[in-house]
Amino acid sequence: MKKASKKIILLGHFGVGKSSLIRQFVENTFTSDYKVTIGVHILKKEVEISPDETISLIIWDLEGYDDIKKTRASYLLGTHGFIYVFDVTRPATFENLENDITYLTNQYANTPLKVVGNKVDLVTKTYLKENKDMFGVAPDFFTSAKTGDKVDDMFIALAKELVK
Amino acid sequence: MLETYREIYFHPRTQFITIDTSGNVLESDDILFKLKKGDDISSVSLFFKGLSAYFDVDEENDIKFTCIHLENNDRQEYTCDIEFKTFAGAQPTLIIIHDFSEHYKYYQEVAQSRNESVINSQILELKNKYLKEKEDFKNTFIANFSHELRNPLTGVTAFCSVLQKTDMTPEQQDYVEVIKSSADHLRNMIGDILEVSKIEVGKLSLHEELFDFHELIDMLEFTYSVKAKQKNIEFEIDFDEKIPRYIESDKTRIKQILENLIENALKFTSSGKITVLIKENQRRARKVNLSISVQDTGIGIPDEKLVLIFNSFTQLNNSRKFVGTGLGLSIVKGLVELMDGKITVESKVKEGSTFKININLRYPINQEATSLETKSDIERKNYLSKEKYNILLAEDSELAQMAVLKILAQEGNFFLDIITNGEDVIESVIHNEYDMILMDIRMPGTHGDELTKMIRSLPVQNCKTIPILALTANLYDADKKRYKKMGMNDIIEKPFDESTLLKKIYKHLK
Repeated sequence: MKKASKKIILLGHFGVGKSSLIRQFVENTFTSDYKVTIGVHILKKEVEISPDETISLIIWDLEGYDDIKKTRASYLLGTHGFIYVFDVTRPATFENLENDITYLTNQYANTPLKVVGNKVDLVTKTYLKENKDMFGVAPDFFTSAKTGDKVDDMFIALAKELVK
Repeated sequence: MLETYREIYFHPRTQFITIDTSGNVLESDDILFKLKKGDDISSVSLFFKGLSAYFDVDEENDIKFTCIHLENNDRQEYTCDIEFKTFAGAQPTLIIIHDFSEHYKYYQEVAQSRNESVINSQILELKNKYLKEKEDFKNTFIANFSHELRNPLTGVTAFCSVLQKTDMTPEQQDYVEVIKSSADHLRNMIGDILEVSKIEVGKLSLHEELFDFHELIDMLEFTYSVKAKQKNIEFEIDFDEKIPRYIESDKTRIKQILENLIENALKFTSSGKITVLIKENQRRARKVNLSISVQDTGIGIPDEKLVLIFNSFTQLNNSRKFVGTGLGLSIVKGLVELMDGKITVESKVKEGSTFKININLRYPINQEATSLETKSDIERKNYLSKEKYNILLAEDSELAQMAVLKILAQEGNFFLDIITNGEDVIESVIHNEYDMILMDIRMPGTHGDELTKMIRSLPVQNCKTIPILALTANLYDADKKRYKKMGMNDIIEKPFDESTLLKKIYKHLK
């Protein structure tokens, strides 16, 4: 069986639910108490992407910034994939989405990236449908760290891209 | 002694580790993490897995990481800064781990409080925005709805006036009077609703004009003395004669403020007295500061409800005994604030209420040289130069057509052409010489304001000067400005009655 380690990083504003997404994916737990992440927390989860291939995801949970350019360059060294998370209920977290994604794709052209709108449990499907244009970039996934909706799908989809 | 202190108080919080090109530990001082020679450095933390690409580089590198969360074998957590140094010449890689847990713990608290505050304010802002959108939607809906109600009311009001001039029995006259008075009441209520929605969406503006303030107060005193007498209550206006006679302000709105307050007092007072006190406080820079109070001996307002008194649709007494929309005071407050004034209320249950306004009004310094001598519009008809005038009515509503036709027919001074479709107006204007055009705004084909613009640009004599009056219930300031810009001379507000229509027509006929 093939086994590889890949470093992925979650980026985005503070309070968008990056840590909660990781906890839901790694530990299947969720708490609505907000605890600020400072610096970096690193967690691991093994993901079976095919019957004969497992991937060990080293997930870097980064402190949230309101400007992606403020992210310390050293954190991004050796990164295999990015997940950019925003909060679908707070416009401040997706006002610069288009620019941030352009910046990431320019700086890390060959690094897979997933754009994720989190906290969909707080809005209706109609809201998402009617407001999809306001995000500026079409998200790859709409997730809920609270209910677990699409969380595994999102991490696994990225994992599969990492071994392509 | 220093050495003794060092031994007691100095706890080194920095660990030095060297590793080989595979990431295995060569040496460690084990200050924070216990490591054996040959241990994989990734066993300290997954953090080091991400750096494996740098383990075997043969060049100078100094990579610094801040605020990394690490855990030792006893599951004790550290928050550290890490330096990762590689060297040229087969020298082993050096890792320096600085434990700044205490410092970062403090930073965490600060960041927690800062982020929570930012998020809460963003959420609050969103909630406010959402509430405002809801409020705007409500007000726009009310405005549009009120507008739609005004059109059929035009028919009722205008035809009552026409009907009253026909041969009817006294009983029939009474019935018409009831219809007319009900329609007037309905029109006033719709007007109130429209005013409130305009105030709340900030679309109401003031129109300053020079007027005789003393005359306005005399008129109010006369009107309300009669009304109060009908209810067997006393009414008095204590007016400070020092107040300048001529004032430059929005006469209609000042009248509305006073009327609403007095009407409110009359409504809730069944015995006793209503006193209106109007006093000059001071004059400064062409502005006179006035205190106006309306005091009644009515039912009064409980303390806990005083804060609600100026809210829209709030009538504190729900006993159906007092009819109305409950918008009068809300309009008063909106108007007073629009004039940069202030309104307050004091009240005692069963003793009565006093509404107090403090307001600044502009006045011309030289009062003696100021005059308002103008002919009333309706008087102008005695000075008209022609015997008969040609008027074009562009209007698609049959009710409005009939109303205008009947009113003008009674006057005997007019020929009236009626066109129901915007597209036919231009042709008719080219082929006929009209003295005036009465133009509905919302017409099928082309709207009235657009038609006006086209007429003004026609190369036909008198098209630039012919008076064009809008017939409309679209009365937001933006609409009024647009009508003027398109070349319309005046607006006849729907619903209109006989006297309003005739006043405007005579005002603009030459």
